[in-house]
Amino acid sequence: MSKEEKKLEIMKTALNLFAKQGFYNTTISDIAKEMGMSVGNMYNYFPSKESLAKELLIYTSKKFGEEIRKINEIEIPSKEKIKKIVELYFKMAKSEPELVDYFMRVYLSNKEIFNNGCEGMLCVSAFVTEIMIFFEEGVRRKELKNQDFFAAFGLFMGYIGGLAFLFREGILGKDLDEYIEPVSENIYNALKA
Amino acid sequence: MLSKPKIIWIDGVSCYGCSHSFYNYPEIKTLLQKIKLLYHPLFPTNEFKIQKCDLLVIEGAIKENFLRMDFDLIDLITQMIKLSKKVLLIGTCAVYGGIFGEGVLFNKNKKGIFFPFKDKIIAVPGCPPHPEWIAYAIEMLIENKKMLLDNEFRPKEIFSYTSHMGCIRNEYFEWKIDAKNFGEKEGCLFYEQGCQGPFTHSSCNKILWNEVNSKPRAGTPCFGCTERNFPKKNLFMTEKFMGIPAEIPIGVSKRAYLTISGVAKSLRNERLERKLIDEDN
Amino acid sequence: MKITKKIITKIEGEATLKLHKNQNIIEFAEIEFWQYRGIEDFLKNRHYNDASVINPRVCGICGHSHLIATAEVIENALKIKITKKAKILREITVGLEIIQNHIKWFYLTLFPSIKDIDYFKALEFSRDIAKIIALIAGQFPHNSYAIAGGITSDLTNLEIIKIKNFLLKMFERYQEIMNIEGYSKDLEILFEDIPKNIGKSLNKFLVLGNNLFFRANGEIKFVNEEKTSSFNKNALYNDKFYEVGPLARNLKNPLINKIYEEHKDSVYTRIFARLYEVNLIFEYLIKEIDKIDINEKNFIKPRNKNGKGKISIEAPRGSLIHEIEIENEKIKKYNIIVPTQFNLANGNKQNLSPAQAALINEDEKYADFIFKCFDICAICVSH
Repeated sequence: MSKEEKKLEIMKTALNLFAKQGFYNTTISDIAKEMGMSVGNMYNYFPSKESLAKELLIYTSKKFGEEIRKINEIEIPSKEKIKKIVELYFKMAKSEPELVDYFMRVYLSNKEIFNNGCEGMLCVSAFVTEIMIFFEEGVRRKELKNQDFFAAFGLFMGYIGGLAFLFREGILGKDLDEYIEPVSENIYNALKA
Repeated sequence: MLSKPKIIWIDGVSCYGCSHSFYNYPEIKTLLQKIKLLYHPLFPTNEFKIQKCDLLVIEGAIKENFLRMDFDLIDLITQMIKLSKKVLLIGTCAVYGGIFGEGVLFNKNKKGIFFPFKDKIIAVPGCPPHPEWIAYAIEMLIENKKMLLDNEFRPKEIFSYTSHMGCIRNEYFEWKIDAKNFGEKEGCLFYEQGCQGPFTHSSCNKILWNEVNSKPRAGTPCFGCTERNFPKKNLFMTEKFMGIPAEIPIGVSKRAYLTISGVAKSLRNERLERKLIDEDN
Repeated sequence: MKITKKIITKIEGEATLKLHKNQNIIEFAEIEFWQYRGIEDFLKNRHYNDASVINPRVCGICGHSHLIATAEVIENALKIKITKKAKILREITVGLEIIQNHIKWFYLTLFPSIKDIDYFKALEFSRDIAKIIALIAGQFPHNSYAIAGGITSDLTNLEIIKIKNFLLKMFERYQEIMNIEGYSKDLEILFEDIPKNIGKSLNKFLVLGNNLFFRANGEIKFVNEEKTSSFNKNALYNDKFYEVGPLARNLKNPLINKIYEEHKDSVYTRIFARLYEVNLIFEYLIKEIDKIDINEKNFIKPRNKNGKGKISIEAPRGSLIHEIEIENEKIKKYNIIVPTQFNLANGNKQNLSPAQAALINEDEKYADFIFKCFDICAICVSH
């Protein structure tokens, strides 16, 4: 196993532990134990829990960004792209709930951990850039309304993030998939030109 | 001794801004001593007459049913281009049409009616072109020096630069700090004020105007006056799609540009976020 | 009676002059301009600030006056007040444009129509004047530093000092051309072969602008335009023709008045007033620059979006009028009346324009000279 693969393994393990026992309650030695590694060896991969957290964020953002990029590169109207992005997000929320959890509970609510080296949108830029391109092209093609970026971004991401959260909390009465259609429809109606 | 190259300078639909710009060329006397200026609309010369020449300079756009010196303008240019060894188009009007009509070589995005003569035409757009550009092109042409041209027949030694190169607001551009208003030293004019510097071909900020200044240095956005679509609408505003500039610097993908902008914005430059000349610090 | 048609070139643009003659004496003159560019239509439906880019392109030699008039007419329409600093800097650049214009006109247009002269020193002079404009406005010709609400530049004292010293130096250099006592060697040389008292005109003068030290003697609401047989529109004041320009606006100056008393509104007085005005502008600007408070704002963002405005400023050739209608920040209507429309109007025998009156009863050999004494801007007419 290469060093990169090993790092990925550690990040996945950490993600699970964060989801199970919370970010603050999880220590490096917990992760090492779960991995069957010594704490000393762990530090060869990540010098601190914070650096692990940051790399995890960059990894998540890249992964999500790459998927949206694929959608951006398909020649379809913005309306269909919205549906594909919602689908992608909900699929991830179901198959890798700890990832969505991490994003919502750790990153967004513990910004102070990320201040050093992850200022602003730095660690999530791969994801944000693709969302920008999605919006920009939609407006350029006159399919979406020209407005402030964050007004549109908040509406889109806040909405689907909120639903994923409700799903995880077990509050949603139906399966997340059944919301793809109406949620996409609502987002499109709110953003269309 | 060889005879001096004969030059005829004629004008179409213009404002004479190109001529007045050329008047500011510091070495104008030296340059004019090298040539025989048979005709110029303003400069003291003999009367105009249809005749052969080594270099025809055209300033101004073309337009149907427009009289110039009692000739129909398009007829006049047709006759003169045929009688000239080389043709130099001066100014955005002559090259692309600009404000006043069609260009000799192009009509905005389309080929112009004199495009078939392209092999003997050199284009020096600008509204007006910098005096040194005009002088450069004349010198290169009369001395038969080879000029590398871009695909719009503009000399690369001038038009490979962007007007962004050399702008004193470059640091603000790097750190994505927008000018908050006109009339301020601080901030880049690209995000709100409509500056077209990063995608306009010109060396304005390299050689400066009147040897001392440039529009962006004086807080005025670059209007892209050397380009075929000059003048665009809303010249003092940046067109944006969902907050993202509709046009980005030449040569970079949108994805790369947005990534680097996000990084610069996130990391911040605190010095540039303050007033440049700060009373409190 | 014979009618000859002549195309006048070597002016800013070209004009057609039809002279009705008896022997060599001019009995009547028709003045025609056959070019039209359509700037006013080009402005329609654009944002009002676009006019600060388009309008300087009315003219390569006096485009800066069109810029300042543009900013002022929008400010008039939207009820914007600019700071004193912005106002003074605009006065400096517009004053300097008048200076470079007069120098070029005298040495490149007027003088060579009579005899040879080394005009390169005049180009050198106007180039240095342009450099001072550029220090403030970015470049010359065709800058757009004056926009509704103020100016785009934000100078430091470093530039102010440079500009002041430049002005002092250029004022001193101008003494070689015409000194403060009104002596000009080149003017005397020019008149060696030409009578001073030809080209007397209507002896009626109009000033509409209040910039620099000029004071209006009329109101723009009395100005009207009338169509002619060519593309020009005559500009009249209360249906009558008046002469505008340096002679009109400087008649109260004691030295110019003395020349006027002696030679009336002849070619000589007209040229003298133009050359002497340069001294007066230098003196004025050198005083004004000291009044700049560097800490004042350069620009105040306009709030209103609708309005109508009409203003006049004194441009190189006289009173320039701009008129605008703005609806929701867009230009609904724009109208420009240039000084040449007053001076070079095409009136009839009962109602002659200044240039027509100046030509009548003179020998045709002086026609070109008398005509050019008005400093024609056919380019501006063809806006």
